[in-house]
Order: sequence, then C-alpha cells, then structure tokens
Amino acid sequence: MKKTAHITVLCFAFLLMFASQGWSQSSPAEAFKNVTIHTADGKTIKSGAIVWRNGIITNVGKNIDIPFDAYVRDGGDSLHVYPGFIDGHALWGSPDIDEDVETPDEPGNPGYVRAGIQPDRKASELLQTESKSLVEAPKHGFTTAALGLKGQMLPGQIDLFFINGKNTENLLLEQGVGITAQFEEAQGQAYPSTTMGIMSRFRQLFNDAKALQQQEQYFASVSSNYPAPKQNKVLEALYPVMDKQQPIYFVVDTEENIERIFMLQDELGFEVVIVSGKEAYKQAEELKERNIPVLASIDLPEEPKWRSEKEDEDHPEITEEMRIFRDRQEEAYKADIQNIAKMIDSGVKVGFASNGLDLADFGKNLTVLKEEGDLKDEHILQMLTQSTADILGYGNQLGNITEGRIASFTIFSKPFIEEKAQALYSVTDGNLIEFEQESSEE
Amino acid sequence: MKKLLLLLFAFCFTLTTGFAQEKGSVLIKDGNLITITNGNMPNTDLLIEDGVITQIGNDITAPRGVETVDASGKYVMPGIIDAHSHISGVDINEWTNPVTAEVTMEESINPNDINIYWALAGGVTSIHLMHGSANVIGGQNETLKLRYGSDMDGLRFEDAPRTIKFALGENPTRVHGQGFDVQPRTRMGVEQVIRDHFDAAIDYQRNRREYLDAKEAYDNGNRSTPPVPVAKNERLEVLVDILEGEVLVHTHSYRADEITMLMRVFNDYGIEDYTFQHANEAFKVAPELKKNGAYTSVFADWWAYKFEVYYSTAYNASILNANGVKNSINSDSGELIRHLNHEAAKAVHYGNTSKQDALKMITINPATQLGIDEKVGSLEVGKHGDVAIWDGHPLSIYSKTLKTYVDGKKYFDRAEDADDMRLKVDAEQDFDEASGRWYNENGRHSETCLRGAEIRFSKQGMKLQGN
Repeated sequence: MKKTAHITVLCFAFLLMFASQGWSQSSPAEAFKNVTIHTADGKTIKSGAIVWRNGIITNVGKNIDIPFDAYVRDGGDSLHVYPGFIDGHALWGSPDIDEDVETPDEPGNPGYVRAGIQPDRKASELLQTESKSLVEAPKHGFTTAALGLKGQMLPGQIDLFFINGKNTENLLLEQGVGITAQFEEAQGQAYPSTTMGIMSRFRQLFNDAKALQQQEQYFASVSSNYPAPKQNKVLEALYPVMDKQQPIYFVVDTEENIERIFMLQDELGFEVVIVSGKEAYKQAEELKERNIPVLASIDLPEEPKWRSEKEDEDHPEITEEMRIFRDRQEEAYKADIQNIAKMIDSGVKVGFASNGLDLADFGKNLTVLKEEGDLKDEHILQMLTQSTADILGYGNQLGNITEGRIASFTIFSKPFIEEKAQALYSVTDGNLIEFEQESSEE
Repeated sequence: MKKLLLLLFAFCFTLTTGFAQEKGSVLIKDGNLITITNGNMPNTDLLIEDGVITQIGNDITAPRGVETVDASGKYVMPGIIDAHSHISGVDINEWTNPVTAEVTMEESINPNDINIYWALAGGVTSIHLMHGSANVIGGQNETLKLRYGSDMDGLRFEDAPRTIKFALGENPTRVHGQGFDVQPRTRMGVEQVIRDHFDAAIDYQRNRREYLDAKEAYDNGNRSTPPVPVAKNERLEVLVDILEGEVLVHTHSYRADEITMLMRVFNDYGIEDYTFQHANEAFKVAPELKKNGAYTSVFADWWAYKFEVYYSTAYNASILNANGVKNSINSDSGELIRHLNHEAAKAVHYGNTSKQDALKMITINPATQLGIDEKVGSLEVGKHGDVAIWDGHPLSIYSKTLKTYVDGKKYFDRAEDADDMRLKVDAEQDFDEASGRWYNENGRHSETCLRGAEIRFSKQGMKLQGN
C-alpha cells in the first residue's frame, strides 16, 4: 500500500514537472521589430528587434531571429525603445501625512509613532493602489520603483516594485531594500523638534536597539534564570541596519546635513545611500571616498526671472550692486543644475529618485538638465536606468536592454528627452501595457 | 567698480579655497596695543606667525614673506569674545522636553550665516554659540572661532571645554509648566527638575558601570549568568559629565533668589565651574557669587522685556566687578554683537568701571568663563593671533574696526568690504529679499535665545518685544 502511494506521488510529481515545463515553453514570446533600441550605455540599434518570453529578454539586436510563436509588433522604424526607468526612492502610493496631530501629554516623550520613528512600517503594506502616480509613472517611462513612505525621521521600509497602475500591489520584487531616514522633525509640539534633536535621537535608538539585541542573544543562550526581553518592533527593525545588511536611504540636500550623516555613520556604522542630494556635489570627494551613492533629485531651482526678461521697462536701471548680485545668483543657479554632472565627474555613483517630485515636471526638468546641466542624453539615460539598478542591487537584472535581463522597457514615439515624446507601450516584468495616444498638434 | 568686483571675487576665492583652520602670519607695526593683561603699550609692534603671537615689542622686522600692516595712530586689541550668542545657529531650542542635555549646538552650526561676517566687522573673533533657554537643562553649547568661510568643523574652537545651557525662571516654567502642564510649573519645580535629573544621572552611572563590569566578567568567563543590558543613555551621560566637572554650566537666570538657589544645588552636587547668563539681579548677591567662585555674563542695559527682568540696573556689571566677580558683557543678539565695545563702554559710563576692566568684560573675562583664557582674550606671546585693529579707542562711540584677524588670518577688512559678502547664494532668492537686513525688521530681538520657541509665548498670550 505504502509503495503504491509512493509511486502515485512520484507520477504526479513527474506530471507536474512536465506540465509546468511544457506550459512555460508554450508561453508565447513577444517582440518588437523595426524599432530603434537605446541601451543604457548610450548605444543605439537602428531597425532592431527585441524579443522576450516569460518576463526575460531573450534576444536583442539587428537581424535577429524572431521565434515563430512570437507575437510581433512592428515599429515601422519610427519608435524608440528604452530600458525602463527606475526610481530609486519614490513616494508614489504612500499615504499622506496626517497634518492634524495633537500635542502629546509629554511632548518630550511622545512615543515612537508620534515622533516619526516608524522603521517597522512597510510601503508594501500601506500602498494606496488607487494612487494616480502609479498609473502615470509608466507613461513617463518608469517600470520599476523603490517605494518609500512619507513621514518624518524614520518613515519606514522601502519596498521595490514593478510599476503598473493598480496592479502594482501584486508586483512586489523585494521588501526592505532599505529604510528611509531624514532630518525631519516630529510634527507639531513633540521631540525631536530640531536637527540636533534628531541626531541625538538616532544615537539613542541605536543604543536601545543594541541593548535589546544583546538581551535577546543572552536570553537565547541560557536555559533559565534570565528575564525575557520585551519585544520592540521599532528597535528590531533597526537590527539589519546595525548589522549593515540593509542601508539607510537618507533623504538630505544641504552640504552641512550630508556632513551630519557622515558624523552619524562614523559613530553608528551603517551603510548609506543619499536620496535627493541637491548640494551633494559639494561633498562629492567624501561621498566617493566613503563609497556612498546618490539617488539624485531633479527637482531643480526655478530659473531667475530676470534671465528670461529683456532689458525691460520695469527695471530700467540695473545698479552695479544688482549686477554683481545677478552674476552670483546665476552662478548658484548653474551650480545647482550641474550638481549631477559634477558628481558623475567626481566618480560618485549617481542614480535617480523622484522623492516627491511631481511627475508633470519630470520631462521639463530633464530638458533643463540636458541644456544647462552639462549632461548628455546618454548620461541621463544611464542615471535613470543602469545606475539606479546598480544602487538598488539589481544591476544584473534590471536597468538595460540586453539578453537575460528582466523585460522592463518603454516604447516612445520619439527619443524620450525630446519635447512631445510620448510613451506608447510599457513592458513591465514582461507584461505589456498599451497607452492611448494623446492627440498631437503635429 | 571693476576693482570692487575683483576684490569680491578674490575674497570669495580665498574663502572657498582657504578654509578650515588655516593659520596666517602678519606684523602689525606701531599700534597702540591694548594688551588687557599687561596694560597699554603705545607705538608697539605685534608679530603673529602661523596663527600665534610670537613677539610684542619695538622695531620688530617682518620675517620673509610676512605682510606688514601699519597701525600707527590705530588701536590694536584682542578679538572680542561674546559669551552668549545665537548667530550661526541652525536650530536654537530643542524646547520639547524640560531636559535635553543630549543635544548639542555643535550639530546645529550654520557656517554660512552672514551674521558671522557682521560680527567680525565689530571686532569679534570668538562666540559661545548657545542653546536656547526654553528648558531647565537645555543642550550643550559650542565655542566657535569666526573663521568665516570655513565649514562647520572649521568654525569650532579646538580644545575649548564643553559647556551646557541651563535656564531658570519664566522661560522653562512657561514653556513646560504652563504650556504642556508638565514639571516645572514654578521656580521650586525648576530646582526639583535639576535635582531629580542629577540623582537619576548618579543612579544611571552606577547601573551602567555595574552592567559593563558584569558584561566584561561574563565575556571573560568569570561570571556564569549574562547580565541584563543597561543601554547607554545619551542624556544622562552628559549629566554625569557635568557632575564630574567635564562640562562648564552656563545658566540663563535673572532673579537673585534663583541664582542663590542654583549655587546651593551646585554646592550639594559638587559642581564648581559655572557662569550665570543675563543675571540681571546678580548685583544683589554679588558677595555670594564671589564666595562661590561663580561668574556672571550680563547685558549692559537690556531689560523689562518680561516680568522677571523688571528689577534691573545699568550698574549691574560695575557692582559685580567691584565685588570681585569675574563678569562679562554679552550680546545674545545678532545686532548687539556688532558693537559689544559700546556695551562695554556703558560700564564705564554708568558705573565708573575702569576702561581696562570694561574691556576685560569683552575679552579675557568671557574667555575665562569659556575656559579658553590660556589661548585667547589678551595680547600675549604664545596666545592665538585673534586680533582686531581699530581706528580709535575701542570704547569710543566713533571708533570702528578696520581689520579683524583670527589665527593671524584676516577675515575682515573695512577697505575690502563689498556689498555682497554672502557665502552661500540661494538661486531662487531675488535681489530685494537677499539684500534686506534682518535687523531692519527685527532689531536686536532676532537671533536671541528664544528662537524657535517663541510660539510657546505667543500662545500663552505673551509676546516678546519685536515679535
């Protein structure tokens, strides 16, 4: 009896194996042909084709064999394919911060949540699938994003998703690629209310986590006569950071605040990725030295108004003092815009993070970066794709259009950085979305 | 105008390239030296080499490559030291808890603050960047040298002792007692908060030490059961350091009774090195202050901005000085810091204090209170080259600073004072906004010790002047 049962199980197992293999083989390939393919390293393949099956790119190039079973779309040599853009720290789908907070009974001891210390929160568990950004992002070329949460000092875990509108919630790639941190005070009247308070709070959190971890280890090592440690999800969420298994994604902009992170890093010993980093070029050498990558913001400053004004009637007289001022303002404006270029030149690894940037400004700001930011199209593409993938630890799976990579790319009507370029299709983890084409004035 | 531009760019260049504790050399010839500790020396030369005063005397020749500055007819004095300032601070008050000893102004420095340059223009070379006065035991302070153009670290006064801010009276009781309904509500409560926290620190120190000893014994196999960890406590660690005399205490205070109270508390806990800041009623307890070796750092004549500051006198500094209390005159303001020489002159004007003693109140006395008197505060061979050249006697209302040196390096020169001396330019700030001067709007009340905590006051129906 027993033997028969064994044989039956084995048979089923074989059947299942073959069935699944057969199923996967029968899953049809898909392809685009007669398209211009732009790879992350800046190369282009004209009249090329791209084939993918089961979510993996199986063949790319010119004059390649397209499998007989492939569903083929013909680009008619007018479409452009780019690796899917990756957002290294997006706030899409995050619940908004509740602005209506009460003063705690003891403002100096507000508890973790009220203080904005929530490293145990998970973006994936709080994802608002109705978020418009999740629908809009693929139309701007994004196929993957590390989703963080809005909040204060430690808003939560960052989870990596393929992005596809409402369906995003089913497309989790990895939970906890990092935790977000920022110099953001507790809301209203609660500790910490200053940058120096946040610095101290970080230290105390690490002290407390270290003590708890130690107590847990002791507890596990003895059989009796030792008090049980009190479970603390907040402190426990910091263990992987303390053990350098998970980096802190520190949202920071000013030169001085970046220096403050260096101070904390030296004391507490954690891995760090800079998010936003609008003045990071001023710390480029140190960032390189410490091997800290930057997921750069492209939230650029407004152009000084007078730059686009003609010698106008409103300001007929430009004094010498004003002229010197304008020279310095222009210098500062250019320096801000060339932040990314200067970091790249210094050897800092630079990826991209929208971190709250309105997607409507994305294309416009890329154009400014190209025209005044000392960046070429290929630099921008590299930043949005391969470099961000590298920083997230997915440099071999995402970020480029080559054989073996995950099929995540976007098909544009024109080179993506050109005005009026529209995304027509987005392929995310092998799944294709077709967008309705917006009416063109042309 | 081209020359002005060139100067500006040259200045900016030196600022951006020569930062972080760069030291300079200069020979200042034939000046009227006000040494502070060794009387006045007319027509005397002063040589600074690599940031240190190396010679004072006559007919000194400049070593090769060292610039000579003619100071004939001019006055040369040590850089002014402001024992109570909030310029160049990012945040001033972590005001949310009655005790926040763990925070430090060392981590709240804004090196780009234009106020630093304006203070240099008033002959100031060092400041005591203080935490605010919203809590009983506030944050730690940071002593800075005004090396305008340096980064945060470059502004720090190397090896200056650690100091901390305490605050008594209306500020902490209003913020915490009235505002949050937590202790302290009264002056009695303020005392109790201090005592309770010192006691907690003593307990913590014992517990933590016992844990670390037990851990070591367990790790070495000399103990069979592991100890229960006692986490390092950032706040109590600092309080322990105060009790062990490693941190000088600077206490915001006004009334004689609270000043006496704190001296009693400090005597109980063996704390010896401390300064009362503001201390408008200190003159009432001058002998007691002297007896306890306490220092005071006062305003020349600033009072009546709240109830506890009504009983005040312009003779405060002079009475304290006459009683042998080491007193300094401070600014607590981004405006007053630009003419602390005038503030010192008021002690001469009102209380007949000698000019020498009045000048000590803005040089060697604040240096003593900050524990840096062996390095700065007077013109002596071996001390730092922190020096200002004035066009007249510094106590004259007509006198102006001509040049200011820190570590022998020139950071202010009236002849090169361009319109725009900002270090950091905001690309989005327009001319009208950037060229405004905050003190035109805020007067002396900006950059004071309640910055960031004012909301607590207005909410309670009280408004600070100027706010």
